[in-house]
Amino acid sequence: MTVPTEAYVALSAALFAIGAMGVLIRRSAILVFLSVELMLNAGNLALVAYARHWAGFDALAGLSGQTVVFIVLAVAAAEVAVGLGILVAIFRDRSSTDVDALSGVRL
Amino acid sequence: MIAALMVLLPLAVAVALALAPKPAVHRPLAMFGVVATLVLGLLAVDGGGRLEVPWIASLGTWIALDATGAGGVLARVAAAVLLPTVLWAGARVESRPHLFLAWLLATLAGLSGIFLARDLVLFYVFWELTLLPGLALLAGWGLTHRRAAMVKYLLYAVAGSFAMLIAVLAVGPLSGAAGYRFDQLLAAAPLLDPLTQTWIFAGFAFAFAVKLPIFPLHAWLVDVHEQNHASGAADVAGTLYKVGGFGLFAWAIPLLPAGATALAPLGLALGAFTAVYGALIATRHAHLKRILAYASLSHMGVVAVGLFSLHLAGKTGSMALLAAQMVTTGGLFLVSGMLHDRRGSFELDAFGGLARSAPALAAATLVVLFASIGVPGLANFPGEFLALLGAYQAAPAAAVLALLAVVAAGALGVNLYQRLFQGEGRERVRDVTPLEVAVFAPILALTLWLGVAPAANLTTFEREAAAAQTVTAEAAPVVAEIAAAVGVLAAGGVR
Amino acid sequence: MTGAWSDPVAWAALAPLFALAGALLVGLFGRRWPEPLPGVVASLAIAAAFVVAAVASVGLLGRDAGVALTLWPFLPVAGLDVSVGVVVDPLAATFLLIITGVGLLIHVYSIDYMRDDDGNARYFALLNLFVASMLVLVLADSLVLLFVGWEGVGVCSYLLIGFWYRQRANADAGRKAFIVNRIGDAGFLLASFLVAATFGTLTIADANAQAGSFAFGAGVLTAIGLLFLLAAAGKSAQLPLHVWLPDAMAGPTPVSALIHAATMVTAGVYLVARLSPLYAQAPAASAAVAWVGALTALIAAVAALAQTDIKRILAYSTVSQLGFMFAAVGAGAYAAAVFHVFTHAFFKGLLFLAAGSVIHALHGEQDVRRMGGLGRRMRLTGSSALVGTLAIAGVPLLSGFFSKEAILGGVWNSTLVEDYGSRLLFALLLVTAGLTAFYMFRWYHRVFCGESRLARDVAAKVHESPGTMTAPLVVLAALAAVAGYLGLPAFAFPNWIKSWLAPSLASVGALHPPLWVEWLLVAASVVAAAAGLAAGWWIYERGRGALAERVGGGVMGRFARDGLGFDAAYRAGAVSTAEGLAAGLAVADRDLLDRGIAAGVTTASWLGRAVAAWQSGFVRLYALATLIGLTALAVVVAALGGRA
Repeated sequence: MTVPTEAYVALSAALFAIGAMGVLIRRSAILVFLSVELMLNAGNLALVAYARHWAGFDALAGLSGQTVVFIVLAVAAAEVAVGLGILVAIFRDRSSTDVDALSGVRL
Repeated sequence: MIAALMVLLPLAVAVALALAPKPAVHRPLAMFGVVATLVLGLLAVDGGGRLEVPWIASLGTWIALDATGAGGVLARVAAAVLLPTVLWAGARVESRPHLFLAWLLATLAGLSGIFLARDLVLFYVFWELTLLPGLALLAGWGLTHRRAAMVKYLLYAVAGSFAMLIAVLAVGPLSGAAGYRFDQLLAAAPLLDPLTQTWIFAGFAFAFAVKLPIFPLHAWLVDVHEQNHASGAADVAGTLYKVGGFGLFAWAIPLLPAGATALAPLGLALGAFTAVYGALIATRHAHLKRILAYASLSHMGVVAVGLFSLHLAGKTGSMALLAAQMVTTGGLFLVSGMLHDRRGSFELDAFGGLARSAPALAAATLVVLFASIGVPGLANFPGEFLALLGAYQAAPAAAVLALLAVVAAGALGVNLYQRLFQGEGRERVRDVTPLEVAVFAPILALTLWLGVAPAANLTTFEREAAAAQTVTAEAAPVVAEIAAAVGVLAAGGVR
Repeated sequence: MTGAWSDPVAWAALAPLFALAGALLVGLFGRRWPEPLPGVVASLAIAAAFVVAAVASVGLLGRDAGVALTLWPFLPVAGLDVSVGVVVDPLAATFLLIITGVGLLIHVYSIDYMRDDDGNARYFALLNLFVASMLVLVLADSLVLLFVGWEGVGVCSYLLIGFWYRQRANADAGRKAFIVNRIGDAGFLLASFLVAATFGTLTIADANAQAGSFAFGAGVLTAIGLLFLLAAAGKSAQLPLHVWLPDAMAGPTPVSALIHAATMVTAGVYLVARLSPLYAQAPAASAAVAWVGALTALIAAVAALAQTDIKRILAYSTVSQLGFMFAAVGAGAYAAAVFHVFTHAFFKGLLFLAAGSVIHALHGEQDVRRMGGLGRRMRLTGSSALVGTLAIAGVPLLSGFFSKEAILGGVWNSTLVEDYGSRLLFALLLVTAGLTAFYMFRWYHRVFCGESRLARDVAAKVHESPGTMTAPLVVLAALAAVAGYLGLPAFAFPNWIKSWLAPSLASVGALHPPLWVEWLLVAASVVAAAAGLAAGWWIYERGRGALAERVGGGVMGRFARDGLGFDAAYRAGAVSTAEGLAAGLAVADRDLLDRGIAAGVTTASWLGRAVAAWQSGFVRLYALATLIGLTALAVVVAALGGRA
C-alpha cells in the first residue's frame, strides 16, 4: 500500500513547524542551527514527496524535484559550514553561544 | 566669460584660503577675491557678462550666466557688502580665520551663481549649494545652541527646496520647452494652463517664501542669527543669502504669470502681515541680533508685497529694496559685532549712553539705522517707496497695512538708537578704530549712493521686470476664479 | 541746463548745497576746532544761502513765472520719471528768505547760547543739516523730493530735540516727536500713491495742473486732500498729532525758535499752499483743514493759559498760531496764511530767543512762577519781548495785527468753505485771538514785570545777555514791527504780498461785502486783542494774579496744563494697543509658531525612533518577523487562489 502524498506533506509541515519553533525559542546557537537544518530537511521531504507524486504525470517533473533536493542539501551543508565557522569565532571572543547576546548590529 | 569668472574666482580663492598655510596671506587673499569679483562685475555691465554653453544635453540644461541684468546688480552689491565683511571677519575671528574667510568666499561664489544663472537647473544647483557655507559658518563658529539652529535651518531650507525641485522638474517637461534656459522656458511656460501654472508656482513660492522669509516660514531666521558668530560677519552672509525675493522676481513670476496672479492675494496678505509682524515683535526683544533679525523680516515683508503686486513699479522697487537692505541690514549686523566687541554682550541692557564716548560710532550707526527704516535720501527709501506704490495699485489695503509697518519700524529705529547710544552711560567705550572706519566706509558710501542716485539700478530692474508682464488673454477668466478661491482661503487661513 | 544756470533766480538751488556743505564741514571736523569756529562756519554757510535766496527773490520781482530746473534722474520707473529738480517761484522764495534769514539770526544767537557746550560742533552741524533739508523741502518740484526734505527735517528735529541726550526725558521727547511725525509721514506716502494712481505723475506742477480737470469736489481729490492733511497735521502739530510739540521744548531754545516756530512746523502750511490748486477743487478737504486749524487754535490757546514753563507757553502758542494758518489755507486764503507764516517767524522767533535769553541769564530756570521783574534788569531782552508780545496779540500797526486780520477777513469772506460754517470758524478764531492776547500778556507780565520772585542766588547774577544774543533780538523786533506793511488789508490798501504770491497760489474767489463790514471785522479783531490785554492787565497787574492762581490750581487748570488729556488718551489708546499687540504677537511667534513647528519635528523624530526599535539587533526578533511575513505572504497567495 502506497503512503499518500498528503501524509508526507503533513509530516514535512510538522517538521517545519518544529524547526521554526526551535529557531524562535532556543537560545543556544548550535540548537538554532539544528532547527534550521530541520526546517531545510522538512522542505526536502516535501520536495521528494511531490516529486514522486508528479512523476506519474510527467517524468521531468519528478526528476527536477529530486534535483532540487540535492541542491538544497548542498546549500544546507555550505551554510552550516560557514555558520559554524562564524559561531566558533564568536565563541572564541565571548565564551557563549547565546543568540540574545549577539545584538551588536542595531540602531 | 567674465560671468563665469565671477562664480569661479571666489570659489578658487576659497579653496586656496582653505589650503593656505601662512596666516599673513589670508586677509589679502580674501580681499583680493572679493575685490576681483566686484571689479569683474563692474566690467560685465557692458555686455561681456554673458555665457551660454550646453551642459546636460539630454535634460536640456545649459550653463547660462548673465551679469548684465537685475542679477548682475545684486551680485555686485553682494560683493561690495562682502568687502567690509571680509575685512572685519579677518580681524575678529579668532579660531581658524582662514576657513571662515574661505566659507565667506564660497558664499560669494554661490550667490554669484544664484544671481547670474539663466538656466533653471543651474539656478537650483547654486541655490542648494549656497546653503552649505551658511551651515558651515554656523556649525564651526556658532554659539552654544547652534545645533538646534542648524537643524531648524536645514529642515526649513530642505523642505522648501524639495517643493522647488518638484516644480523645476515639472515645469520643463510639462511646458514642452526646448530646454531649461530662461528664454526657452519663457517661450513655453506662460502658455501652460492656469491651474498647472498655479501648482508649479506654489512649489516655487513655497521655497522662496522660506528663503525670503515671510510668515509663517520665518522661524529659522531668528535662531540662525542669534547663534551665529559674535563678529556679525556670518550674519552678513546670511543676510545676503535671503534671495527668495530674487527667485520670485527673476524666475517664478515671469515664467508663470497666471500662477502668480492666482496666488498674488495670498502673497500680498502674507507679505503685509509679515511687515507689521516683524516690526512689532522686534520691539519686544532685548537681544540685539534677534531685534535685527525681526527687523529684516519686516523689510522682507515689504519686498514680498512689492513683488506680489505684479505691478511694474512694485517689482522694480522690491528688487531695489532687496539690494538696499543687503547693505543696511548687513551694515547693522557688522555694527552689532562692533558693539559686542566693546561690551561682550548682545543684550540691550549692557548698552546705553555710548554716544558720549563714541560719537563717531553713534553717528555712523545712526545713518545706517535710519537708512534701514526708510528715511529718504538713504538706501532703503527708493525701493520701499516704489514697492509700496506698486502694492497700492494692486491692493490698497495691503499697502495701508505695510505703511503701518513703516511707522512701527520708525518707532523701532529710534527706540533702538536710544537704548544703545543715548542716556547716561556707564564706563566709556572706545570710539571707532581705523579698522572700523574702513568697514564703515563702503557701507556708508553704498547707503548714500543707493539713496541719492538709484536711477541706473532702477532702470536695469525695470527692464527685466517689464520683460514678462501680462497674463495671456485666454487665461484671464480662469485665473480670476482661482484668484477668488485662493483669496477666500487666504482670508480664512490668515485669520 | 547751462543756460538755466545763468539765470540768477536759478541760483537759489545752491542754497541747500551751501547748508549741506556747512553741515559736512562742521560735522566731520568741527570737534577739533576751537570755539566759536564751528558756529561761525555754520553761520557763514547760512549767510551764503541767504544771499542767493535774496538774489533769487529780487530776480523774481516783476516776473510772472518762476524757474524750474531738473538736476538728475531719481526714480525713472513705471512712467513716473521722478527726477531731482527744483522750482523757484514766489512761494518758494518767500520761504527761502524766512528759512535762511531767520535761520542766520538764530545761528548767530546760538554762538553764545551754546558756548562751552560739549556738543557745540554737533549742534551747528545738525542745525545746518536741518536748514538744508528745509530748503530742499520748499524747493522740491516733486512729491518725492519734497518727502526727502520732509523726513529730513523730521530726523534733524529728532536729533536736536534730544540734543542733550544724556537726560532720558530729552531723548524721550525726541523719540515722541519722530514717531508722531512718522504717522503723518505714512499719510504723506499714501497720499503720494493716490496722486500717482490718479494723475500718473508725482511732479507737483503736473498734478496741480491736472486737478483742474477733475470735477469740483471729486471724491479722489478730497481723499488726497485729507491724507495730505494727516501729513501736515503731523508735521505742523495740529490736532490730533500735536502732542509732540510741547515736549519738544526739551531741546535747546534756539532750536525751538528755528524749528518749532519759524520753519519746520510751517512745512504743513507750505504743503497745503503748494497744493492749493488741488485743495481749491476739493472743498470738503479744505473745510477739514480749516476746522482742524480752528479747533487746534482754540484748544491750544486754552492749554497755553495754564502752562507754567516759559517755553511751553510759547509752544502751545505756536500750535495755536499754526491753527490760524491752517484755518486760512483751509478757507482758501492762501496768501494770508503765508503772510502769517512770515510774520509769525519774526515775532515767535523773537519770543523764543527772548525766552532763551532769560533762561540763559537765570542759568536754566524755566518756571515763570520763579521769574518776574526781569524787564528792569534786562532792558534789551525785555523791550524786544514786549514788541513780540504786542505783535502776536494783534495790536494794530504791528505785523501780527495785519497778518491776523488778513486771516480773519479771509475766513469770513471765504467762498470755499462757505457751506462748511465759515462764520463759525471766524468766531472760534476771534475768541482765540482774544485768548492769545490774554495769555501772552500773562507770559510777558510773569517774566518781565511786577515784583521779582527769583531765587536769592539767581537774582544776584542776572544781567543782560551778550551782544551776539541781543542783536538778533533787536533785528527780529524791528521786523516784527514793520513787516506788516507788506500786507495791508486788501479791501482798502495795496496788498503787496498778495500780488507777489499770486503766481504760485490758486486763486479762489472771495466774497466782497461792503466796506463797512470789512472795517467792522478789523475792529472786531482789535477789540478782541484789547479785551485780552485788558483782562490780562486786570488779573495780573491789578489783582497780582490771585484769581488766576485759584483757577489754575483747580481741576480745569490741571486738565489744561496736561494738554487737555491728549497725552493720556494716546498712552491709554494707541500706545497700549500697540504694545499689547506686539506682546501678543511675540508670544504667538514663540509658542505657537516656533514650538508648533518644533513639535512637528519631534513627532517626526519620535516616529523615526519608533520604527528604529525594530532594528534591535535581536536575532530572534528578526526570525520571528521573517516568519510572520512569510506566513502572511502564504495566506495572501492562498487567498488569491494560488496565483502569485
